[in-house]
Amino acid sequence: MNASQPSPLELRLSAYVDAQTGDGDWHDVEELLVNDPQVRALHDALRHGSEIGRRAFDDMLKEPVPLDLVRSIKNAPLPRRAVRLPQAPRSGFSLKPSGVRTFIACLSLFVLGGAIGYMLGSRPAAPQGRVAIAAPAQAARDWLDDIIAQYRLYARQTNHLTEIPAERAADILEWLTTNTGISFRIPDLQGSGLVFQGARMFSAGGTPAGQLFYRRIDGDADGDVIAITFTKTRPAGNRSLEEIRNETGIVTWVTPLATYMVVGPSSAADLDDIAAKAAGLI
Amino acid sequence: MSQPSPSTDIRRDLVALLPRLRRFAMTLTGDASDADQLVRGAAMRAIQKSHHWKGEGRLENWLFSIMRTIWSDEARKRRKAEPAGTDAGSAPERKKTASAVLSMPEGLASAFLLTDVEGFTCQEAATILGIPADQLAARLCAARLGLSSLNAVTTERRA
Repeated sequence: MNASQPSPLELRLSAYVDAQTGDGDWHDVEELLVNDPQVRALHDALRHGSEIGRRAFDDMLKEPVPLDLVRSIKNAPLPRRAVRLPQAPRSGFSLKPSGVRTFIACLSLFVLGGAIGYMLGSRPAAPQGRVAIAAPAQAARDWLDDIIAQYRLYARQTNHLTEIPAERAADILEWLTTNTGISFRIPDLQGSGLVFQGARMFSAGGTPAGQLFYRRIDGDADGDVIAITFTKTRPAGNRSLEEIRNETGIVTWVTPLATYMVVGPSSAADLDDIAAKAAGLI
Repeated sequence: MSQPSPSTDIRRDLVALLPRLRRFAMTLTGDASDADQLVRGAAMRAIQKSHHWKGEGRLENWLFSIMRTIWSDEARKRRKAEPAGTDAGSAPERKKTASAVLSMPEGLASAFLLTDVEGFTCQEAATILGIPADQLAARLCAARLGLSSLNAVTTERRA
């Protein structure tokens, strides 16, 4: 089977099969397909390969799933949830209204509803506009969204991951400490398989935030990127949180001076461990 | 592509997705028993971390990412534990048992499955596999060409 790197023409045709080709290239490829029989044959081969693969993978779904695998998942214990404390027993009151009582209750609700409707209807229409304008503000992004957006933007970069590379550690410390107002150390997380790559500074919710980037040592150069971020902004209720937003995991902890976050792909199950280690080292 | 709606018990969704999870695991491991182990491990991790899943997007996206991470971690541990060249003898054996699709060079089957079969966009598939989008596109193209030539060889043999 051919494992070599596809040629630029093969890549263009493959993108054309996926309809991922840009407008300009689309016309070029269509022209090639009309005029060049070899290109047409290559295009057919790509489509044919796609069809064969699809059929083969569809057949794999027909294989029976081992029963012990199904059982082990069905019977797996769920994570512990908050315990609900027992409440005081309810009194033995039971609601059994008579016909007259039901009629009086319905009449009262009708009168009450009419009164509320009359009052609302007699108010000027101006506040509706204000509500409509205020609604998007309530749904506005918070500063944690800025931090996740920043991570997602740079975690995919291979050549421009950081502003200051890891080799200039003293520069990173001075620059981020001065601008964020938070003194810190660069944690050595090699024990967790993470190698420090460098740092960036950005604005999250209008406040400067420092971000230290680490890459997993994966054997190849495409390891996951994990970021440690710190800012003076406080999360609501000053509480630490652990959640996934936009396919990105985030674990935070709060100290009297700053809020720290470990940000990584949602599939990274060890973010809390990394946070625990980083909290002791930063 | 059918999408299971997020239910209160993630175990039910996991069981419904099992055939597809196994299929993806097969593209990573190339071996049925390793694939089952991988699916079991990923399912347990997903159950323990189910409070992280807020029902946004496709559940498979999250589960496939977990599987890929576990498999990468295990591969890294194996590489550290085994001296270079130890695995050379087991590769042909694995190829014998795996189907022709799964015997494609490492990474091609996963890229092909996620995009051409599971219907993820190139960017989504690249994120799941932890690789840049252009590398995903190259793997997808190589997989299509490989599958096409594979069929040609089979047809020639039959003739």
